[in-house]
Amino acid sequence: MRNKKVTGIERLKVRYGRMFALPWTIGLLLFFLVPLVESIAYAFSDVSLVNDDMLSFAGLKHFKYLLQEDPNFLDNMAEAVTSFVFSLPIIVALSLIFALILNQKFRGRLFARAVFFLPVIIATGVVMKFVTGEALNSGAALSTAMGETESYSGISFDQLLINLGLPQSVTELLADYIARIFNLVWSCGIQILLFVAGMQSIPDQLYEVSKIEGATAWEEFWFVTFPMLGNVIFLVLIYTTVDLFTAFDNPIMTQAYDLVSKNSVYDRSSAILWGYFVIVGIIGSLILFVYNRLLMKKWN
Amino acid sequence: MKLLAFKNNVTSNFKNADYKKIASKVAVSIFRYAMLIAVGYTVLSPLFQIISNSLKSDADFMNTSVTWIPTAAFWQNYADALFVMDYWKALLNTLIVPVLSGLIEVVSCGVVAYAFARFKFPERKILYPLLLLTILVPVRMTFLPSFVNYRNFDFFGITKVIGDLIGKDLTINLINTPFTFYLPSIFGVGFQSGLFIMIYIQFLKGIPKELEEAAWIDGAGPIKTFIRIIVPSSSVAILTVSILSVIWHWNEYYLMGLYFNENQPLAVSLSNIMNLISLKGGDTINSHTGVAMASCMLFILPVLVFYLILQKKFIKSIDSVGIVG
Repeated sequence: MRNKKVTGIERLKVRYGRMFALPWTIGLLLFFLVPLVESIAYAFSDVSLVNDDMLSFAGLKHFKYLLQEDPNFLDNMAEAVTSFVFSLPIIVALSLIFALILNQKFRGRLFARAVFFLPVIIATGVVMKFVTGEALNSGAALSTAMGETESYSGISFDQLLINLGLPQSVTELLADYIARIFNLVWSCGIQILLFVAGMQSIPDQLYEVSKIEGATAWEEFWFVTFPMLGNVIFLVLIYTTVDLFTAFDNPIMTQAYDLVSKNSVYDRSSAILWGYFVIVGIIGSLILFVYNRLLMKKWN
Repeated sequence: MKLLAFKNNVTSNFKNADYKKIASKVAVSIFRYAMLIAVGYTVLSPLFQIISNSLKSDADFMNTSVTWIPTAAFWQNYADALFVMDYWKALLNTLIVPVLSGLIEVVSCGVVAYAFARFKFPERKILYPLLLLTILVPVRMTFLPSFVNYRNFDFFGITKVIGDLIGKDLTINLINTPFTFYLPSIFGVGFQSGLFIMIYIQFLKGIPKELEEAAWIDGAGPIKTFIRIIVPSSSVAILTVSILSVIWHWNEYYLMGLYFNENQPLAVSLSNIMNLISLKGGDTINSHTGVAMASCMLFILPVLVFYLILQKKFIKSIDSVGIVG
């Protein structure tokens, strides 16, 4: 009698679950999977917007071109992949450190948080182009044609350093590092948010216990905070991967985008993106694999 | 007398305290504030630079001795920016299309997340990886097929079949209509939806199941349970997703620029601002850079106010429960 009732509830739960997921499933097919499959088709076809039949099968033509003839593709790919591999751990570590700082109790904490989350608002959109000065350079050609000579180049750290009297080579090196750190800080907003949120949800009792046991702050971090953040680290890894993958200053993205916007070449652009997607996917699943093997096993 | 007592107190405290501990505490707090100042500088300085440049006249830009503070606030830049962007109309467009579809996503993503977080149905095993895929695939990969689909929109080919039977072309052109944004949002596959669903899922996992089960035993249906139990207890997640969704939609310019030839929102005008200034203003505008910066300020201002109003609640909400885990 009791058993029957349980299976009844289970069956109801299956039905409810399907009910709540149904609209999304329809949307997924209609607005995501169909275009996705079509974009794969683009990569293996010649796309023409003028002819009546848009697609004609071209096999591996575009991939062959990219690998053998395109002068920039391999360089761009190497640059994109190395910057991805370097940035990912740095961003995750940096945002974890910032989140730890923001999570402590200190004077001016509310203000500090408000400042830290500002990039969340600004860094995602068109304003970022103004922050880096790119928006103005894009129209620079037009402006000079109109007789305007003023120039603007983002935030000039170099000039500041040269004014301080440092030699040129040191200045360039420093400016390069500062520019990198600048980009990294600007891309940490969401990750910090996720980490802080995750830290807040760790029950206080765990910290009390570790204090009673006489754990140092270092041990507390490694044995309480870090393991409890498992889910969040997963989320942060995924988000950072996506963010780096789709970043507007990513050379592969720029190449693919320029092909579309300047030359209306959709097929090769699609091939570039899919090639890149596969490579990032392989790296991403490697990271996840290592993450599962090393971290999850240790904790469980 | 008081001073002496204070002194005694301090010395005794120092005697008892571990010197090492104090030293490390001081070191940590110096490190902390150094970090905060460094980050504060990197985040705030470009903003201040935008503000300062938005108030500079052409003469100030030419004058190399003027870096941060303009000789006189040149408000004409803002008047020009209002004109060049066609600000009030573009603002209205922004509210009608991206902001509204952002708000739709707040609801639709919550519904989907409820299914994933609470119910174990067999299809979940296929759908969950697909959810991750929607987050991972960049917009630029699918925008052309999407564009073609919106231009000849037929619901799974159903309208086409009916159209063939009647002998008329029933496919609809959705380009230039808000539905290119509303429709995906309603189905929970719009701009950044996947991420919102993930945030909701992580949060919903933290709500105790007993509440819902009690509601079911009391005879409430699934929809009633969702509205009466789940929605009120996830106000934190709703607030977080609302802020992110509205702001990200506000900032979105890539798809907007593709799907709309006319009635464009603010973000699109801003992304194209230098050309707009040259086209509309030409020689009459004093400083092109200044007007561009003023436009940028006019674009940020509404979201900044929105963020500052909700910011305290937002940060507190993160404090109180946490959106993740």
